[in-house]
Amino acid sequence: MTLLTEKEVSNVVDYLKRTRLSEDVSLDDVMGLAEVMAESLRPALSGLDATVHRDLGDMAREIAAMKRELAEMRLGEVRTDKIGTAGRELDAVVEATEEATNIIMTAAEAIMGADPADVDGFQAVVNDRVIEIFEACSFQDITGQRIGKVVSTLSLIDDRLNRLVERLKLNVDAPTEPAEETAAERRARELILHGPQAKGEGVSQNDIDDMFP
Amino acid sequence: MALDTSMSVLVVDDYKTMIRIIRNLLKQLGFEDVDEAADGTEALGKMKERRYGLVISDWNMEPMTGYELLKQVRADSSLAKTPFIMVTAESKTENVIAAKKAGVNNYIVKPFNAQTLKGKIEAVFGV
Repeated sequence: MTLLTEKEVSNVVDYLKRTRLSEDVSLDDVMGLAEVMAESLRPALSGLDATVHRDLGDMAREIAAMKRELAEMRLGEVRTDKIGTAGRELDAVVEATEEATNIIMTAAEAIMGADPADVDGFQAVVNDRVIEIFEACSFQDITGQRIGKVVSTLSLIDDRLNRLVERLKLNVDAPTEPAEETAAERRARELILHGPQAKGEGVSQNDIDDMFP
Repeated sequence: MALDTSMSVLVVDDYKTMIRIIRNLLKQLGFEDVDEAADGTEALGKMKERRYGLVISDWNMEPMTGYELLKQVRADSSLAKTPFIMVTAESKTENVIAAKKAGVNNYIVKPFNAQTLKGKIEAVFGV
């Protein structure tokens, strides 16, 4: 018994030729192939089993809906626009805090180095430098806004990833093979590098003091 | 007994601002002879050329960390007795235990204040 006609088989073959699946196979390619396969099998199976025919139709519609929803998630925009902008915002935050720190420290050093015996001179240095310190502290307003934009981007990524996981019905809790340790991870493990801990995590100075009686 | 502020101090940190902060705090405490290094390798080189009364080092630096520096200092008989204080953001218990096992004299968690730095230096020298 022949299930597929020559024309139906050629639809699949044409698709494979057109998309050259042997090179880089993407999720889009797989979905496209499934769609063509489902459509090609439908006429052949229609006379045999109505349930299978209906299931194939549902499958084709589901794939088409999934493709539409993936396009609506605008993942390319997140990758090229949002993440790039977030990186630049963080760079600007680092630069602004460094600049402000330098201004504040230079002012503090000038006050520390001023001669208190020269009362008028000392007062002038303190007044001028305190103004500079106030001015430099305005960085906090700008960096706060920049960090707010980065937080928004992280929320957007979180939202779109969750939608993707939900739409593709991915089992994210399934156990996976442990990833191979990178050189940076090995260095961090061997040299016990964790970086700063969040508030409330890690040991306090008081706890450490107890360890150095 | 008063703290001997005439000793030379080596401050090791890859973050210039932190070196500047510690240098200024030490100056306030009366230490004038303060040298600096950007990582463990540079610090070890300087320690082999000159005797320091105290080393104050960060932990997380490239290429040689403060932890590796501490172990190398303690393994070198000519440097082994140099007082060594770790000043770091690494505040997990395992870090403190590892540093203590490696022979650190005291441990300060960033961010810290002048009083903490003064207290730890005094504790190291039994003042």
